[in-house]
Amino acid sequence: MTGPLITDWSAVSPYGIGRAAFEEGFRSGRTTSVPLENEDWLVGERADTEACLVPGFVIKEVLGKKGTRAMDRVTGLVVTTVGRLLDTTGGPLPSEDPDEDTALVLGTTHGSHKSMVDITRDTLTDEKPYYINTAHIPNAIGNASAGMCAIWYGLKGPNATIAAGRNSGIATLNYGRRLLATGRARTVLCGAAEEYTTDRSWLEWHTRGADETGTVLGEGCAMVQLRAPAADGRGDDDALAEVLGVSSGITGPDGVAAGLETVVGNALRRAGIGREEVWAVSASAPAGEAGRQELKALDALFGDLDPLTLGRPGQIGDTGAATSAFQVVATLTAAQDSARAAGRVAVLTSVDRDGALGCALLRMR
Amino acid sequence: MANVTAEQAATIKEIVCEILELEEDEVTGESLFREDHGADSLRAIEILASLEKEFKVTIDQAELSRMVNLNGVYEVLAESAGW
Repeated sequence: MTGPLITDWSAVSPYGIGRAAFEEGFRSGRTTSVPLENEDWLVGERADTEACLVPGFVIKEVLGKKGTRAMDRVTGLVVTTVGRLLDTTGGPLPSEDPDEDTALVLGTTHGSHKSMVDITRDTLTDEKPYYINTAHIPNAIGNASAGMCAIWYGLKGPNATIAAGRNSGIATLNYGRRLLATGRARTVLCGAAEEYTTDRSWLEWHTRGADETGTVLGEGCAMVQLRAPAADGRGDDDALAEVLGVSSGITGPDGVAAGLETVVGNALRRAGIGREEVWAVSASAPAGEAGRQELKALDALFGDLDPLTLGRPGQIGDTGAATSAFQVVATLTAAQDSARAAGRVAVLTSVDRDGALGCALLRMR
Repeated sequence: MANVTAEQAATIKEIVCEILELEEDEVTGESLFREDHGADSLRAIEILASLEKEFKVTIDQAELSRMVNLNGVYEVLAESAGW
């Protein structure tokens, strides 16, 4: 049985806004890190001196002034990406032409760290605990970005938010697969987003392990369009890849590499895929020991096959919850450039410092 | 006109226009936030909370039903603040 098909995608990344910008940047391999001292919109002291930012991403300029006054950065990234994917501009007022059949599944760490921190700070520092900016209250809830997209583009299908750390992007593919399998939606937009702010910079800095120093943070959003294959297999020429399977697990006492080998092995077995079908592997490549263990597992599993190794997804920094969503679109980009990709399988793995492990198998078209 | 100074009225209008995303010449004392300017309940709460914060007062949420236009806001705020 054919799995759900990825038929389109878009991204807002440190390479720029839109799919073409990501493809161009990814192919060039250029780094996107910039010194933060030139970024006027960032307020307060940062833990970092550089980061990989979406260039020129000022929400009011990208999405217009209406409806964006209280929009936080992560929501701006998601609304922009979904607009590019749907090829529409949408708007702040509820759509008069709602789309009942399209679902949205968004991966995130915590929504916007900044929105949560701002509200918490105001309740403590202002004269009364309720002297807070009420416009920011919705932003402090994790599903604000997904909800705003539904309003902005009139998406009335299921609207879900998944907080699974680096795994989030892969996890949304699984959630989307289930929505299609149960007939809850005809099309599912799956992806994940992460913003760069001063607040995230400090949270990351304080939680970083000794082996994770030197991490450069990145930001962005990547979304794919998922739909069920046609019953007779016809009319699926627009497919870029098939989602063969998604599996997840946690790191046990034997460590990351052993756990990940099990998770990937399970994914292959459930999908009925042989090792020899593998064309490429894509690692989430977190900093430090977890990243080394991830590569060790992939090498143990596939090293002798000499697959194309898609390392850290481009030079876009540590994009947190968006990491595995960017792995998906980087893999789709690489497949266009490889004569050996068609019909073969890409193995995407995800390792989170909290112990979450994930694997997605995509068959390239 | 409620008991507000020109300066206070200007600040209130500025806050309301910012929240409703309107130019100041689009709003009159009588124009209705909801019917004429497309405000929803969240915007109404936002106006109330912003005024509380700006003028260091507490406004009973029951007063929202009177805060339908600028004149209503002036009245409620003057009463709540004891101006």
